[in-house]
Amino acid sequence: MNRIFILTPLIVLLIICIFSLVYLLSGKDPNKPPSALLNKDVPIFESSSLYNEKDIIKTKDIKNKKTLINFFASWCSPCKIEHPLFFEIGKKYPELYLLGFNHKDPTSDAKKYLKDDGNPYDFVGVDSDGLIALEFGVFGLPETYLINEDGKIIYKFMGPITMDILKNEIEPLL
Amino acid sequence: MSSLVGFLSLVFAIGINFYLFLSRYIFKFQKQKFNLFIRFSSLLTLLSFFSLMYAYVVSDFSNYNVFQNSHSNKPLIYKISGTWGNHEGSMLLWLCILSIFSFFFSFTKNIEDNFQKLTLIIQAFLHILFGLFIVFTSNPFLVNSILVNEGLGLNPILQDPGLAVHPPILYAGYVGYSIVFSIAIAGLFQNTDDEWLYVAKKWSLISWTFLTGGIALGSYWAYYELGWGGWWFWDPVENISLMPWIAGLALVHSLMMVRGEQAIKKWIVFLSILCFSLSVFGTFLVRSGILTSVHSFAADASRGIFILLIFFIVTGFGFLVFLLKEPKKSNALNLLFINKVSALVINNILMIIATLTILLGTIYPIIIEVLYNKRISVGGPYFNSTVIPIMIPGFLLMSIAPILSWQTNKINNSKKYVLAFIILSVLVILQSYFLDFNTWGFVGLLLGFWIILASIIAIFSSYKIKINIKFFKIINPHVAHIGVGIAIIGITCSSVFQNELDFNLNEGDKFNVNGKTVLFEKIETTDEINFQSLRGKFLFDIEKNQSKEIQAGKNYYPVSKMITSEAGILHQWNKDIYFILGDQKNNEWFVKVLINPFVSFIWLGVIIMMYSGLIAVFRR
Repeated sequence: MNRIFILTPLIVLLIICIFSLVYLLSGKDPNKPPSALLNKDVPIFESSSLYNEKDIIKTKDIKNKKTLINFFASWCSPCKIEHPLFFEIGKKYPELYLLGFNHKDPTSDAKKYLKDDGNPYDFVGVDSDGLIALEFGVFGLPETYLINEDGKIIYKFMGPITMDILKNEIEPLL
Repeated sequence: MSSLVGFLSLVFAIGINFYLFLSRYIFKFQKQKFNLFIRFSSLLTLLSFFSLMYAYVVSDFSNYNVFQNSHSNKPLIYKISGTWGNHEGSMLLWLCILSIFSFFFSFTKNIEDNFQKLTLIIQAFLHILFGLFIVFTSNPFLVNSILVNEGLGLNPILQDPGLAVHPPILYAGYVGYSIVFSIAIAGLFQNTDDEWLYVAKKWSLISWTFLTGGIALGSYWAYYELGWGGWWFWDPVENISLMPWIAGLALVHSLMMVRGEQAIKKWIVFLSILCFSLSVFGTFLVRSGILTSVHSFAADASRGIFILLIFFIVTGFGFLVFLLKEPKKSNALNLLFINKVSALVINNILMIIATLTILLGTIYPIIIEVLYNKRISVGGPYFNSTVIPIMIPGFLLMSIAPILSWQTNKINNSKKYVLAFIILSVLVILQSYFLDFNTWGFVGLLLGFWIILASIIAIFSSYKIKINIKFFKIINPHVAHIGVGIAIIGITCSSVFQNELDFNLNEGDKFNVNGKTVLFEKIETTDEINFQSLRGKFLFDIEKNQSKEIQAGKNYYPVSKMITSEAGILHQWNKDIYFILGDQKNNEWFVKVLINPFVSFIWLGVIIMMYSGLIAVFRR
């Protein structure tokens, strides 16, 4: 009886550790809730170009091509970190359509940012009031979405993308 | 440069501890030399911590950790607190506090040399484990690979004076249990006399007092910063701190039984191991990011596995030693129907059940997600309906426990207590009949007042009143219980009798709160150093000449694009009036006013408990 009492803590410890270990190894991350939009159609949006107000992009314009959508802003330092990677993606996958949304940014700041650091995007849409980001369910900048030819969101990443993420998570989908 | 100094001194400190750990088997040391080494390694760990702090103070963005978590615009105090406002820095603080405890323990006198040495070797072992964890998975001294002029800022919700001091105090509580753990394990290895129980009692009281302060600061912060009007949310991180607190309380009370020369050593050792295990488990749950809460930092599986391993080693080692080296048989307990020993045993059992109940509720979501792949959360309703009823008999018992006798069933002056209880019950029944009736309110008020009343009767009828230090030491248990009673009244009133009023207002409107007229004066926006503030200004009780101004609003932090709410609180001794400014709709501002009766009693109760904790350290 006494032995069982003393063994109990060890057994409880073992159970707790096993469950925690399985949880950790399963790669679940409570901070990254599965996106409600994953495998759903791209939200309907309409945005004008940063450089030409009359140049408008709409949801149907990105049908039938693989599109990488990236939300960025000049005030967002992590965006600056991931910025050079988009040049590499563009060079490696010329077929891929790179769509940048400039989020809540004065036009002049955004233009200066893309002039200084270069513009990797095929099209830069303006999202000055953040409504498009709202439709996409953006939590914070930067955020990146991959859309397939059927117009479905097949991948989403919060935070700056890195070389690892590009190689292991994005490239297999391209 | 400072990063290099910090890293090297950290590695060097770990090296010394490794050397000391081996000294048990290979190199034998004199006690003096051994202690010198321990102190030196503590100073090195401290140096490492201060180098990181220096990097924060001078905004050295070549340090990756500083770059990620600081910003040159931040006020100095938040630059300093930024040191532990992130995962890596807070782990270094953890290690630093561990060393500080070892440092002070090395000065303990009246303890056997070998025993002290063994305790410090176990501390060195813990230092090595956590030190390696920092070096390999959470190094705060990494060099930034890109050249930058500005940092990425600190979570603005953490930019608060209360929260700047909350982690160090809380950690002092958590990590303090490491000494109790080491003492208990050393006690198992060396079956010496019972002197170590007194030493353990001191250290467990110190840790418990720190833990109490840390938890209270945390909940006070939640009260005025989160802007929900409550101060306890059964958030996983709060639960994690509550578990070692309750287990620690059980430990302190068990150690009291030593006084009656009926040491139940086995149980005490078990509790000592449990307290520290729960602390490490808490560190694991928070640092692995396994639980979502305001405290979570970026999750990283490799870190999680490393800490899980440490938790497994420490706890497994502790309980294994406990299994193999059982303390020698202690005298049978003198259990009577109602004497001090049986009261303490019942109280211990209740506290352990409460701890396990909280543990179950906290890890249940993990188990469910592993088994069924569903995400659930366990919150207030579960804890309120399980933990509180478990504690109630304990509260009833504690009102009279300190005056029970060790040897007999007799209660001195029992008639006085019965009479007082009857009168009090009638008063509380009348109160709840004529004012609000609420079952929990009734139970809480009765319990709170009864504990206070019984303790006061005990003080006046059992001791001669003298105003000197010795007297305060003698009545200390009663004082601690009065603190609990006051806190129970505060908790009951503020949660059960809280009143909520909602208004839609224009600037210049007047409205009525609690019979007093309040003027919504104006909305003001200002630019501060690192945030923009929006404040609604209210004048409370404008009919009087000395109307009080209350400001409630929001702060906007541009660097991290976050909005925090800043509640406006008017503190009165018997209630807090809590203003929350909501959104503007159709040119009207939504204003919520909460009337929280007797909140101040909670903090008063906690302060009294901490005072008693400190006094008890000096009491033998």
